[in-house]
Amino acid sequence: MTAAAPCSKQLTIRGVNEMKRIKTAGLMLLIFAMLLAACSGGDRQTEAADGEAAAAPVELTMAFFTFGSTPADLPAVQDAINKIASEKINAKVKLLPISFGAWNQQMNLMLTAGERLDLLVTGSSPTLGYSSQVAKGHLLALDELVRQYGQDIAAAMDPAFLRAGQINGEIYGIPTLRDMASNNGVLFRKDLLDKHGLNAGEIKTIDDLEKALKLLSDNEPGLTLAAANGSIVDHLVNIDNLGDFLGVLLNGGAELKVVNWFETPEYAELLRRVRDWYEKGYILKDLATNKEATHDLVKGHRSFGFMNYLKPGIDPQESRFAGIPMVSASLTEPLSTTSKVTNIMWGIPRHSQYPEKAMQFLNLMYSDKEIINLFDWGIEGKHYVKTGTENVIKFPDGVDASNSGYNLNQGWMFGNQYLSYVFEGDDPEIYIKTKEFSNSAIKSKALGFTFDSTPVKTEIAALTNVLDQFKPGLESGALDPEKNLPEFIAKLRAAGIEKVIAEKQKQLDAWAAQQ
Amino acid sequence: MIREDLHEGKVKPMAQLTARQEERTWPGVAYARRLGRFKRFVPLFLMMLPGLVYLLINNYLPMFGLIIAFKDVNFAKGIMASDWVGFKNFEYLFKTRDAYVITRNTILYNGAFIVINLVVAVAVAILLNEIRSKLLSRFYQSVILLPHLISMVIVSYLVFSFLSIETGFLNKSLLPALGIGEISWYTEAKYWPAILTLVNIWKHAGFYCVVYLAAIVGIDPEYYEAAKLDGASRWQQIRAITLPLITPVITMMTLLAIGRIFYSDFGLFYQVPMNAGALNETTNVIDTYVYRSLMQLGDIGMSSAAGLYQSVVGFILVLVSNYIVRKINKENALF
Amino acid sequence: MKVEHAGWQWTAHVVLIALSAAALLPFALLLVSSFTDEQAILQHGYSFFPDKFSTQAYDYLLNQSSEIVRAYGVTVLVTVVGTSVSLAITTLLAYPLSRRDIPLRTPLAFYVFFTLLFNGGLVPTYLMYTQLFDLKNTLLALIIPGLLMNGFHVLLMRTFFMTSIPLPVIESAKIDGAGEFRTLYSVVLPLSLPILATIGLFQTIAYWNDWFNGLIYLTEPKLFSIQNILNRIMTDIQFLSNSNLGSAASQGMAALPSTTVRMAIAVVGVLPVLVAYPFFQKYFIKGITIGAVKG
Repeated sequence: MTAAAPCSKQLTIRGVNEMKRIKTAGLMLLIFAMLLAACSGGDRQTEAADGEAAAAPVELTMAFFTFGSTPADLPAVQDAINKIASEKINAKVKLLPISFGAWNQQMNLMLTAGERLDLLVTGSSPTLGYSSQVAKGHLLALDELVRQYGQDIAAAMDPAFLRAGQINGEIYGIPTLRDMASNNGVLFRKDLLDKHGLNAGEIKTIDDLEKALKLLSDNEPGLTLAAANGSIVDHLVNIDNLGDFLGVLLNGGAELKVVNWFETPEYAELLRRVRDWYEKGYILKDLATNKEATHDLVKGHRSFGFMNYLKPGIDPQESRFAGIPMVSASLTEPLSTTSKVTNIMWGIPRHSQYPEKAMQFLNLMYSDKEIINLFDWGIEGKHYVKTGTENVIKFPDGVDASNSGYNLNQGWMFGNQYLSYVFEGDDPEIYIKTKEFSNSAIKSKALGFTFDSTPVKTEIAALTNVLDQFKPGLESGALDPEKNLPEFIAKLRAAGIEKVIAEKQKQLDAWAAQQ
Repeated sequence: MIREDLHEGKVKPMAQLTARQEERTWPGVAYARRLGRFKRFVPLFLMMLPGLVYLLINNYLPMFGLIIAFKDVNFAKGIMASDWVGFKNFEYLFKTRDAYVITRNTILYNGAFIVINLVVAVAVAILLNEIRSKLLSRFYQSVILLPHLISMVIVSYLVFSFLSIETGFLNKSLLPALGIGEISWYTEAKYWPAILTLVNIWKHAGFYCVVYLAAIVGIDPEYYEAAKLDGASRWQQIRAITLPLITPVITMMTLLAIGRIFYSDFGLFYQVPMNAGALNETTNVIDTYVYRSLMQLGDIGMSSAAGLYQSVVGFILVLVSNYIVRKINKENALF
Repeated sequence: MKVEHAGWQWTAHVVLIALSAAALLPFALLLVSSFTDEQAILQHGYSFFPDKFSTQAYDYLLNQSSEIVRAYGVTVLVTVVGTSVSLAITTLLAYPLSRRDIPLRTPLAFYVFFTLLFNGGLVPTYLMYTQLFDLKNTLLALIIPGLLMNGFHVLLMRTFFMTSIPLPVIESAKIDGAGEFRTLYSVVLPLSLPILATIGLFQTIAYWNDWFNGLIYLTEPKLFSIQNILNRIMTDIQFLSNSNLGSAASQGMAALPSTTVRMAIAVVGVLPVLVAYPFFQKYFIKGITIGAVKG
């Protein structure tokens, strides 16, 4: 046994060297192949589309998100859309629906890998990640394309909205036409308001609201107030949060001065008030962690109403969801900010092979009534039928919301919603009103400014955690501001909020100078 | 028999005899000899090939991506041509007090989990082994494994059903029965180390227990019989036979756990507290901190940096631990 | 002796019953919730004794049955294929590593172990599998990435081989003229049933529960696994409640399945593994045939 030992040791060393060499060579080869693939994935160029008309229609891949499962009849709708599109612009679309929960992850990967994609939904919210996509170089600048192929888009919307998504002077996303502004308010159960002699139209200030809350809470045991995104305070004021609440413009963006919202006396006062309401039992105690939809809370007899963003037509919409008539009370003036306008946009990936065709198709989505309604409602006769009233449609016999093959109902996503049909039950003039609502709302002076967080990304990372820790709890009344607000403010400072605000102001001033 | 003789070194196996003779007669063909020895193991190397290739493809090739941690990636230039930024992507992991909190939390939780899970899993495995009725034993095993199969999101709903301030079982039924007032569980950070540790044991004890049970079952019953003849009590048998003989497995599991000490079960620390920010002081760990930070930024350089940081720390710790274990008992070391 | 053993038996039973209850109770709650009326849950939260029972959740699922049945099919296929291949590869790697006489033992063990600690990250892995191997939207994408073999399982198996298979057994097989493969197949494997069953079980659970590969590599709904479907619903809700989609958010929420349906999907996802577990348990045989080798 012992004689074998030195032999095997020598063998091992020799063998190891041998193996090492072979392995290293092989590894290098494979790594080289990998790098090659990654590189080519990175700079897949956008070849200029052929000047000559292609014999076959160009196929565009169009990605958008859905909630829940994909409609069964989507392929049929896609075919109908393509019939029109191939005639008009010699292009077809391949629809790529992705569920909302998977959207962020899959989109990041698809863009990183340079997979076939020509149109995608983007937007200001973190899930849709517009500004980070631009920062990473994923999106194509669209100014020239809009000028050449997107005339109908420019004609259809207020220029301020078209330019809302500009970053460093260029636009990378085109907002869809929907409600481009919102006001803050509360949606109440109509029957409860009536029961206690309250009139939603008369609830206009925070004091009015408090009186109503007291009345409802005292007399309806077990029912409380909820809020659409967990924060009561957000719905009591009109500020331009400049995307992330880290440095905001007060008074609906009346002047271009970035302040620390959390250190303002107004904020402290609001927190105190909301805490007071919490202790008196007006507010849902679980609000900060609540995962249920607001209308489910109403349906489940937990809530008599909830704070929400309002727009024309919100009453019938929420009534439908809650299954019981709801009526809204408005607390602030309608306001248009960059984040609201750029909430849902369409972008073209840098690596798209047919950017011109993509823009042409996009143009159709803002002007062609047929295509828009195919996207919004499906195929006439199969998924809807026209009624006697102009522009109003309803379900065909035998079809309803639960068995319709196409119940996407995401009109706010597909270009120009103002050209869409109205479903029975909604106000026939809803889109005219929405358009007017959007155009006449107060426009924040910073409309069109998007903050580039790259210079301060370390601070933003730390600040996001601080916000997560305190904002939901404080603004739903669950945390006592006496103790927690000073801590919150101190932590924000320690994480570098002053630096971020300074950077924001700097970028804002530079942007304003260019306008 | 031949086996005993082999054991005592009296008889050399055939392969070695030939080699020794070769060595004496042909020193110049030393290389051929070595290759010959090597050749002996070719079947074994062939066996390993699929596995090694898979690890190469699945784990080693993508490691080129670790360079992303040191770059500010802009896809207009492509990954390779993007700027190098040194350690800037790592800053957010160290700069603020939160950085200290998350590191502290991660280490404390994982340290506690390693010890507690080990003790509980081994204890339960031993107890399962004691059960005479095979049917009952299998029943217990299945049931205890059950929690492992439920996804963390569902677990978070179930925990919520216990702790919710409005409708939770504790606040509505148990605490009033004990005369204690309402507790707002989701805003009080101090209870959560205990809550999360309990949830972790509940979810994983059954899983680890399977491993230790398989180890215990593999112990030759002759050992126990011999001990019984010597008059040892059951407890002494466990101490002298069971525990020492499953030590290699315990060591291995512990070393592996140490290697992953900077990683956490994301579901446990993000879903179960329902992402309640107020609890961050005691529930934020490195993985959740990174997720929260990057939700808005979407910066792959920073997330890659975090991954590298976690790996390097775990790696160093494991090297040290493995070295220590090697000193004690070479057999038990991982490598 | 008898009394002592009885004492142990009693302790064991008591402790195990307590643990089993702790494990079962939440699952029972899950089961009951899936049969509860949606309104009752919204109003009173989860309870063992709900106000109102209803099968609405399962009715809803039956409506989606084609989707669910297909997802089941996908999951079963992926699990069976994945587990078998993975068990084979893992054993083939672990066995040689356990042989004390093999050269390069330590570096190779390190090679395996290193993969447990260092990870290139999601982006490079995705790039590799989609660009180099073109796996996107294929069933292979559910089987190969990340799950086909795991360093942890390899090292676990290696440890078992080292402690449970004595060298003399292997050497006597060699003396009888068996090659390495033969030795592995006829001598080692029969002695290793507990560890094979263990790893087999682990792999089955890993494949069955995996939703991550589907999330990353699949956009084609026909290929979704059961866990994928459940996970998509859950993350839809999560993102919706955290995002600022404005008025679109409430519409999104309205389109998603209710609480009870989520519970039902969770139940449906867990049951098959429960059914499969006894199959593996057969192999946790006590005090196996090691004794048979001697003499």
